[in-house]
Amino acid sequence: MSSRLRSGRAWRRLSQVAFLLAFLLLFAFASFRTAARLPVDLFLRADPLIALSAMLSLREVMLPLVWYALPVLVLSVLLGRIFCGWICPMGTAIDLAERLFGVRGRRPAQASPWWRVKHYVLIALLVTALLPAALRSQSDPGLSQTVGLSAVYLVDPIAILTRTMTLAGFPAVEAGLVFSREVVTGWQYSDLVVRHAWLAQALHNVGMGLGLVTRPDPLPATFRLGLVAFLMFALIIALGRFARRFWCRNLCPLGALLGVLGKASPLRLRVSEACTRCLRCVNECKMGAITDDPRKYHGPECIVCYGCVAVCPEGAISLTASRQQTGRDDRLGLARRRVLEAVGVGIAAVVLPKVDWTARRSQSGERVLKISSERLVRPPGALAEDSFVTACVRCGECMKVCPTNTLQPALGEGGLEAIGTPVIVGRIGPCLDQCTACGHACPTSAIAPFTVAEKKHLYMGTANVDRSKCIAWAEDKQCVVCDEACSYDAIYQDNSGPVGRPMVDAHICVGCGQCEWVCPVEPKGAIYVYSSGDRRHLSRAAQKAIRAGAAERQAARAEAETRQDGATESPYPGL
Amino acid sequence: MSHDTITRREFFRRAAALGVAAYGLAEGGWLLLGEEGALAAARPTIVVASKREPAALVRAAVDGLGGMKRFVKPGAVVLVKPNMAWARKPEQAATTNPQVVAEVVRLCRAAGAREVRVMDNPVDRPGSLIATMSGIAAAAEAAGAKVTVASSPAMFQRKALKHSKVLKSAEVLRDLLRADVFINLPIVKVHGSTGVTLGCKNLMGTVSDRGAWHNSASLDQCIADYAAQMRPHLVIVDAVRILTTNGPKGPGRTKDLGLVAAGTDGLALDAYGASLLGRKAQDIGHLRLAHEMGVGEIDLKRVTIKHV
Repeated sequence: MSSRLRSGRAWRRLSQVAFLLAFLLLFAFASFRTAARLPVDLFLRADPLIALSAMLSLREVMLPLVWYALPVLVLSVLLGRIFCGWICPMGTAIDLAERLFGVRGRRPAQASPWWRVKHYVLIALLVTALLPAALRSQSDPGLSQTVGLSAVYLVDPIAILTRTMTLAGFPAVEAGLVFSREVVTGWQYSDLVVRHAWLAQALHNVGMGLGLVTRPDPLPATFRLGLVAFLMFALIIALGRFARRFWCRNLCPLGALLGVLGKASPLRLRVSEACTRCLRCVNECKMGAITDDPRKYHGPECIVCYGCVAVCPEGAISLTASRQQTGRDDRLGLARRRVLEAVGVGIAAVVLPKVDWTARRSQSGERVLKISSERLVRPPGALAEDSFVTACVRCGECMKVCPTNTLQPALGEGGLEAIGTPVIVGRIGPCLDQCTACGHACPTSAIAPFTVAEKKHLYMGTANVDRSKCIAWAEDKQCVVCDEACSYDAIYQDNSGPVGRPMVDAHICVGCGQCEWVCPVEPKGAIYVYSSGDRRHLSRAAQKAIRAGAAERQAARAEAETRQDGATESPYPGL
Repeated sequence: MSHDTITRREFFRRAAALGVAAYGLAEGGWLLLGEEGALAAARPTIVVASKREPAALVRAAVDGLGGMKRFVKPGAVVLVKPNMAWARKPEQAATTNPQVVAEVVRLCRAAGAREVRVMDNPVDRPGSLIATMSGIAAAAEAAGAKVTVASSPAMFQRKALKHSKVLKSAEVLRDLLRADVFINLPIVKVHGSTGVTLGCKNLMGTVSDRGAWHNSASLDQCIADYAAQMRPHLVIVDAVRILTTNGPKGPGRTKDLGLVAAGTDGLALDAYGASLLGRKAQDIGHLRLAHEMGVGEIDLKRVTIKHV
């Protein structure tokens, strides 16, 4: 045991397990209760690639991102790609999959030229972020400014993993828990197994302890695109068939970035005279960093995993800090023409989504508003659309913490470039007036933090009553559940007919979808939120002013209601 | 010694006659008196407690009825149905006062209840947030209840409703159908659709297929139909702080009355609750219809109101 722990490989594995656990625990505990108190998006914030891409594309220095990313940057400058070998939960997942499923790659005897691809991916990514992709929407028309397009969500390992966990992993686990609870709930009502109620309690407690279950709610969280997210992750794992850590050595732009940063690292692989050229280290190297000659290796590819050190039968390999020149080769050897190709891909990545037949742009006055779909309803506090799409890394953290499951990955609502970004789907759940979780959970402030008080004037959209479907308007039925449920008192009643009929005050309605959620008309509901009331292009102060303008109207209605009910006088006034 | 004999034919004849007689008695009895016939026929009494802290109000009101032991026998399973429908804080008066709920739970436990379940099927989601935010989960659990926010379809069971005019069946909480004692615990609020929401309307939180009620010919009749079938053994009305505008969820104006009323005639209590909002029960559709179905008394002149 002690000798095993003395080996670098054992420590590395311990570190991997610890960081993976930390990642999973932070994820499991990310909920609307904890979002304000726990750094649930810690790994995303610590990811320098996300920070870099977000800041480049938004053209601003975001200090919180810088502070969080700094430790990984420093670590990489000192120790090379140690993040990839010791910390990255995606790397650990790939290593685990290899051990669990035997997805152990054939080892190409010769170095594959594929390893440079990740550098081209990185270049394309940075070009995409730097190009002026859209005008930033501003409340002040004089401040028109461009923003780039952040495609980091497609290729960043932490974003991919978090997204997979949110959209596919977590719902699967939760569905399992709910299923077992159903089974157990069923038992409780069967006289035969009443004595097993302890099991129900135990299961419930485990669920609570993991932060997955609080009190029973109707359905486990489900997400559109869950399968797509899972397949993307599964592909990364499956590529391990071709080579160990195929993703890390060939594709990961974060690895490429950290490798370049670590070029000055003093860490050196040294091979002593005891080497018999058995080439076990060459076969073991996950990254293909050691090619045919153990004395030469590719510095930016080494993830400090201590694999070679551990397998060397002669104990000839050591990994230490040293200034001595060894066989370390730090050249990237990128081909100029391929770099140009990567730039071309980066440009195409900006241009192609713009050729978007589903999107429509309105430019009237200072407003630069992209209108893709009337159902493009963004979470409260979201930046104006172009900035939002740029900043959002599609990690799904907001969807994970959303207590009602209303936050869903966009399909076509925001056009091609917005697939996977969060939208509010009222029919799945309402955006609760008391909840501020998504603002806290967003690692890039695409959803800028907001308070409960601000939710009254963060206009996401406006509810519309479809009078031809509404059972009060069309069928004189006694309903107005929407009025009952409205958290903001934005719905009032038209009393000119035989029954009360819902009306919406568009300056009070923020588009939370509460009415859409409770409407008894199936399947779509007769009241639903349209993005037409989206006022994200205005500053919060301007939105607040709009809301203030409606206050008087609202008070007048309350006054009328009081008079109508005669609630001021009761027959028992003295009590 | 000869055996006593009866022909098979005679036996069947007698059995059939007995069956017809029993059914006729049961049905006729219901038509005449209602399920709680004997109680409904008498002049109902409600007890109104005032000038105390919320918990003391509950104790005083229940004591005025003869104490909780009258309703809860040792070993009984009690289902308490507060209004826990909205993600609102207690001070917003959209949900039943948590201290009131907790005290009811304590009284039930003290009377020997084996289990007290506090349940609702809320409109807002998630249920966990409502249970926490309303303060009911913490208060009632501390008092020894099991607080559950009904959710999964497995927790409901279809029940046919006899004698109803519109609502023929409903998906009802299994726990309610299995409980020995059912205590209804509404809070006094105005309601945008039904005028007021009190005990009868509060019962709507024990079913899962509420959309059908709104979609039916008459929501008021559905509420009355359901109230005719599901009779609480005890109704305690929370009027510590009531919601007078923008009900049932608010935010609206509230009024501190500091009252708790209790009784067995839910309709009489609803009529009293409506009066606190300045409304006459006769003007409230579902209360009038429920009264016409014999659920209880809505004319406060025919109700004995005992102030304690």
